[in-house]
Amino acid sequence: MARGLTREQVGVTEEMIATFGDIVFRMSHNYQERTGDPVRKLDWAEIERQKEDMGLTDQQIADKLGLTRNQVLFIRTIEERRRFRTGHHARLLELGGGKRFRAERMTPALDHFRYSESALALRAALRFDPERAREYVRRGWWRDDTLPKWLARHAAERPEAPALIHAGRAISWKELAEKVARLAGALHRAGVAAGDVVAAQLPNVPEFVVAYLAVCRLGAVLSTMHMPYRAAEIENLLAHNKAVAAIVPSEGKEFRPAEAVLALRARLPQLKAVIAHGAKIEGAFVLGEMIDQSPPLDDDAVTPPVAADPFLLLYTSGTTAAPKAVPHNYHTLLANARLGAPEHGITAGDRVLSAAPFTHLFGLYSVHVAMAVGAAMVLLPAFTPADLAATIARDKPTALWTAPAHFAALRAQDLVAKHDFSSLKMMIMSGSACPPDLVHWTAAQLANCAVTQLWGMTETQGALYTRPGDSIEIAANSAGRPSPGTEVRIVDAEGRPCPPGEEGELQVRGCLLFPGFVNNAAANEASFTADGWYRTGDLATADAAGNVAITGRSKDVINRGGVKFNPRDVEDLLDAHPQILQSAIVPMPDRVLGERACAFVTLRPGAAAPTLDELCAYLLGKSIAKLKLPERLVVVAEMPLTPTRKIIKGKLRLPG
Amino acid sequence: MKRSRDIDPIAAKAAILDYCRRKGALAAGVADLAAIERIAPPGHRPKDLMPRVKSVIALGVGGQTQGAWTVPAKALGYFGSTETRAYKIAYGCAFFIEQKFGFRSVYCPPDMDPDGGPRVPLQSLKLHAELAGIGARSLAGDILLHPEYGYMYFASVFTELELPPDQPMADNPCPAPSCVAMYRSIGQTPCMKFCPVQCLTGEVGEDGKQKVMRYDMAACSEMSQQYETVPTRIVEAIRAETEAEREDALFDPDNKMLWYKVSAGSGGWFAQCFECMRACPIATKAPLADPLLRGQAQRAAAEKK
Ligand code: SF4
Ligand code: SF4
Repeated sequence: MARGLTREQVGVTEEMIATFGDIVFRMSHNYQERTGDPVRKLDWAEIERQKEDMGLTDQQIADKLGLTRNQVLFIRTIEERRRFRTGHHARLLELGGGKRFRAERMTPALDHFRYSESALALRAALRFDPERAREYVRRGWWRDDTLPKWLARHAAERPEAPALIHAGRAISWKELAEKVARLAGALHRAGVAAGDVVAAQLPNVPEFVVAYLAVCRLGAVLSTMHMPYRAAEIENLLAHNKAVAAIVPSEGKEFRPAEAVLALRARLPQLKAVIAHGAKIEGAFVLGEMIDQSPPLDDDAVTPPVAADPFLLLYTSGTTAAPKAVPHNYHTLLANARLGAPEHGITAGDRVLSAAPFTHLFGLYSVHVAMAVGAAMVLLPAFTPADLAATIARDKPTALWTAPAHFAALRAQDLVAKHDFSSLKMMIMSGSACPPDLVHWTAAQLANCAVTQLWGMTETQGALYTRPGDSIEIAANSAGRPSPGTEVRIVDAEGRPCPPGEEGELQVRGCLLFPGFVNNAAANEASFTADGWYRTGDLATADAAGNVAITGRSKDVINRGGVKFNPRDVEDLLDAHPQILQSAIVPMPDRVLGERACAFVTLRPGAAAPTLDELCAYLLGKSIAKLKLPERLVVVAEMPLTPTRKIIKGKLRLPG
Repeated sequence: MKRSRDIDPIAAKAAILDYCRRKGALAAGVADLAAIERIAPPGHRPKDLMPRVKSVIALGVGGQTQGAWTVPAKALGYFGSTETRAYKIAYGCAFFIEQKFGFRSVYCPPDMDPDGGPRVPLQSLKLHAELAGIGARSLAGDILLHPEYGYMYFASVFTELELPPDQPMADNPCPAPSCVAMYRSIGQTPCMKFCPVQCLTGEVGEDGKQKVMRYDMAACSEMSQQYETVPTRIVEAIRAETEAEREDALFDPDNKMLWYKVSAGSGGWFAQCFECMRACPIATKAPLADPLLRGQAQRAAAEKK
């Protein structure tokens, strides 16, 4: 309405606006052009000639166009409103006070960065209990830590100190920061933006750390893929985490990951870049070139992340149907690492070696702890007993992150006695049930090294550990006490706390705990209690001093030397095998790896029993990772079943 | 009521302009009514407002303090009550003329024409000031500049008292020599270069004078610090496709400020972004545009006396 009239009264239609909107807009004073200085000079001929260029009144426009004045008024006002871009003045927020507009530096508001849909979905998964969050901040547990900040701090405070030690060569914090800036620049140009997921399947090489920190610098999220994973698992993960880039080796043990991922691209529309670690692969970026030759990220180009941003997306057990994706932000993991460093006695002078792969949170925990204090990270690309022993002897780490399986292997090959392990002051064993005798044996071998045990999960990082000052009995027989900021409780089937010594389910809560699985309401429902405790699925007892011993597992997971996996995808494939009726994979104890997978099967009527080798060949043909292959086959006449015909795995007994 | 012939128009004019200066105007003059009537479009001529008007007095007050120009752009808009100082003087001047000379006078309404929709003023104060010789059109969207007083805010008084008109300024201070040099090297003058929406383009002639001035007022108006425009918020709310967007349109950090300000009655309604003037060597740095320099000049003059 204008001048008390409505559009209907003045006869303005959408068609009329479409016809005259633009010309009315232009003929009015919205655009003004003046030639010379006619008014000041009272140059009447020019004043007359330029009237139209300087903008006409509505009446003048009406006269020219054959419209009524009111029609022009309506058309002009509607057109002005429709063209008017709101929020534009926000650019003034960055100007003035000495700062001037520069076209080349200004991004129009509409072109400002926005998170992708999948990034927003991931961010939506970060929902913490507000009261607990407030408490964590109040207690100083959750702070403004981010890995890029820690990197910048060490690069400034100890530029020449070693950050990474690999094969006897050190990379200083300054060099590391430079490599990270270059890779971040390259990834940014390749289309990686804040909130995006970058998947990485890399051994513990310097490039892993560089990639991890570069992804973090962009505010993006790293999702690791275990080294044994092959095309089927990788595809499932990339489909689930919606990674925009995948960093994978050019050459794998039995297949060529970069080529395999390139071949998947047609089915993974969001995957923009495949980055090969190693030799050049047609169609893929080369990680080494990106790190060494790219221009560094322009600091102003991408806002660094903040502590509440997600930065890690890890998968627990299994890659099939409903994967359990564990998101973490810097708050949870870096608080846990920062608070943990002094508990483990790690300082800037230490050299931390992880025998565990960085694709696991336990391996990454060593990175986080080292970065919390500025300690050097000694790298062992892939564990073999001989390489671990040689690396310790050569690079002289002071702290070792290791799994019982690793040390069991060293013991089996008698490598500790043959190498100089004297640099070790502290060792953390974690990843699977730790045989007490292995702890005793290790402590006996390494007189100056505090052997400790740690229990954690992808959902928590370091939740329980023994401290270097604890007696060897405690370290051998328990996973220790909660890390700072962590609460644990052991409860019976009804959720009541168990008295000391009684077995129950271990539950965890605290500033380290992930907020819940991404987009998996069923798993979240099942995994959290109403008051925010996480049901770990592990069975435990606690002694009177609060030391917790892990006694078993209530969840269906195989833990093969620290690599946990849910065998369901393998069972699904076995169930589809022409000779097999039903299958169930259960853990069988193993002296070195802790557990291995054993397949129980029943046969289809009239079918002959397959051999283990035949089944393995069949599974490999379906792109199942080697580590998930059953290592024993037991054919049974029938499965123990619940009334609802679910297999009761607990009743399957290994023969002999 | 007195008749014109009882009054010495030259003395009256001197007294009126003196009044304006005493009350704080940096410059004041009388515009040629016939010229205004000829240039202003119908409906916006002084006689459309005051049929028996004989003279149009234009006055200008100084812009911001030097301190204000140093603040971030987002805050500069808050120093925008400068124009009300000009209006106050004009308002007083209208009373002064009626009381002293007995002729009907009016403080010219500076606002938008309620009959003409947005962006259309009742009268062009700029035209009055230009013809009164207290400012010349610049390449910055025709903002008037004065070689001594720089960038001013203008107000006008209409009166039935006939006064001898002044002439427009003989020279245009814009572009300043440094602007010409910049234009010769990059094709833009400072106001053009630093306008956040690049709504100014133009050409400087071989003679170093303005050749063409182009101004995209639609774009400039988007830069008005319009956190306080209710209709914009409402338009956004109407355009919103989701609840969240609608909530943002009405209550996001920018917009929620509006409701607070409405309830607390604080703030003006609009402010231009002023970046072109901030960068202009004349607007804020002309000898007497800068209140710091003006003070020095006044103190020096007082000492001489
Ligand atoms: S006020 Fe701002 S938007 Fe308008 S012309 Fe000047 S600098 Fe450009
Ligand atoms: S900066 Fe000022 S003097 Fe220079 S061209 Fe622009 S308006 Fe004219």
